[in-house]
Amino acid sequence: MTAAPAPEHDALVLDRADNVATVLRALAPGEQARVQTPSGMVALQVEEAIPLCHKVALGEIPAGAAIVKYGAPIGRALTAIGPGQHVHVHNLKSERDRSSRR
Amino acid sequence: MAASFLGYPRADGTVGTRNHLLVLSVTGLTGPAARRIGRQILGAVTVTMPYGSGLLGRDRTVHERALKGLAAHPNVGAVVVVGGDRAKVEAVAGAAERAGRPAEALVLDRCGHDSLVLTDRGVRAATHLARRISRARREPVGLDALFLGLECGRSDPSSGLVANPLLGRIADRVVESGGGAVIGETTEWLGAEAVLTERAASPQVAEAIRAAAARREALAAAAGIDLTYNNPSETNIEAGLSSIEEKSLGAVAKSGSSSVRSLVAYGEPPAGPGLHVMDAPAYAPESLTGFTTAGANLLLFTTGVGNSFTSALNPTIKVSANPETCRRLTDQLDFTASEVFEGREPLEAAVGRLMAVVLEVASGALTFGEVLLEGEEVISRFGEAL
Repeated sequence: MTAAPAPEHDALVLDRADNVATVLRALAPGEQARVQTPSGMVALQVEEAIPLCHKVALGEIPAGAAIVKYGAPIGRALTAIGPGQHVHVHNLKSERDRSSRR
Repeated sequence: MAASFLGYPRADGTVGTRNHLLVLSVTGLTGPAARRIGRQILGAVTVTMPYGSGLLGRDRTVHERALKGLAAHPNVGAVVVVGGDRAKVEAVAGAAERAGRPAEALVLDRCGHDSLVLTDRGVRAATHLARRISRARREPVGLDALFLGLECGRSDPSSGLVANPLLGRIADRVVESGGGAVIGETTEWLGAEAVLTERAASPQVAEAIRAAAARREALAAAAGIDLTYNNPSETNIEAGLSSIEEKSLGAVAKSGSSSVRSLVAYGEPPAGPGLHVMDAPAYAPESLTGFTTAGANLLLFTTGVGNSFTSALNPTIKVSANPETCRRLTDQLDFTASEVFEGREPLEAAVGRLMAVVLEVASGALTFGEVLLEGEEVISRFGEAL
């Protein structure tokens, strides 16, 4: 039985306007991630631990700027976020969520 | 060469991906008789509605429209309609005949109120209809003959990342070719309204989308459920979802990028081709039947962890991108995209593979759900009956 081919990329970008990629395996700080985008493959230096299916910033995202996935805002940056950093509930604020933890 | 498949062109201008002999009970009273009839006929599809007389207002309107939509469905070659109320049975059979489909109307009252007599007459009628429609042959038709219903169920991160965007690309191709597509599950629009309304064909459509999402949210609130509180859940958050916008956009991704031509009510046929959104429950049985009665002739259904339910009248292609699910559900999933999720295949390559499966299934290749008889049709209820 032959082994499955090795992964060709580590993260997916779904839309040209996105400023985050979603990772297909957990990534460690210092890794060079191969990111598949609609325009082709790009390399991204990972700065923080990114769990499976979590998001990593593709570039600088200023505080208050929209975080874009699927070509649309999914929330706003609570602080300035640098390329290769983890983007999640600790630095992303939904415009719709009304739960108490916000 | 333009993509095409082999379908059954119907007199009303629609195209069937199947050519079913349908046994349709328009009331729960004759459901058992309909099932007895269907069991005795090779390849028959039996659909029974559990409700009947006493339906009021919106329930009555939706049921009548749905029954006519099922009897005259593009995938139906001929129909045996059974029921207790002569006017209702004849109205439904009449709808099929006006759509160019041979129909037999059988009323329990005219069988001496004897369900065994009804069964016998139904079997004999179905026999002749089945032989007649077996002479039909498929013809080459274009992608514009497809009207896709798009659904997701038991979603997980692989759904929003791979499986739903895959469906969206298929929807785009079909719509670009002049075909149609519909999504429903209104609760999943909450957080994605901005994207849907931006794609709305007109301000009226945008307002209808906003109003439908708000109404569904209020419906939940009236029942004590706050749909935007702790949504995404802790499980969702651990899995990587950061906001309700992200969660809903992952679901709505299955609609692709086309302009939203209109919002239709539950089970309501759209006025023309293109992408439409249906204000409907997220519960799969009701949702799929809503698409089917509106005229969808092929369904695509993504799942994260697995979901066995399908339509009875419509071939329902089951799709997953979760590697563990794809390994486990080898007798449920008609298409797997785990290679994309694992980074071993580009998304665009999977789109090509899925398009090939869509054309094969549309041309007659059976899905697991069809072979395993997993399908049923379930129409929504909205209020009390008398």
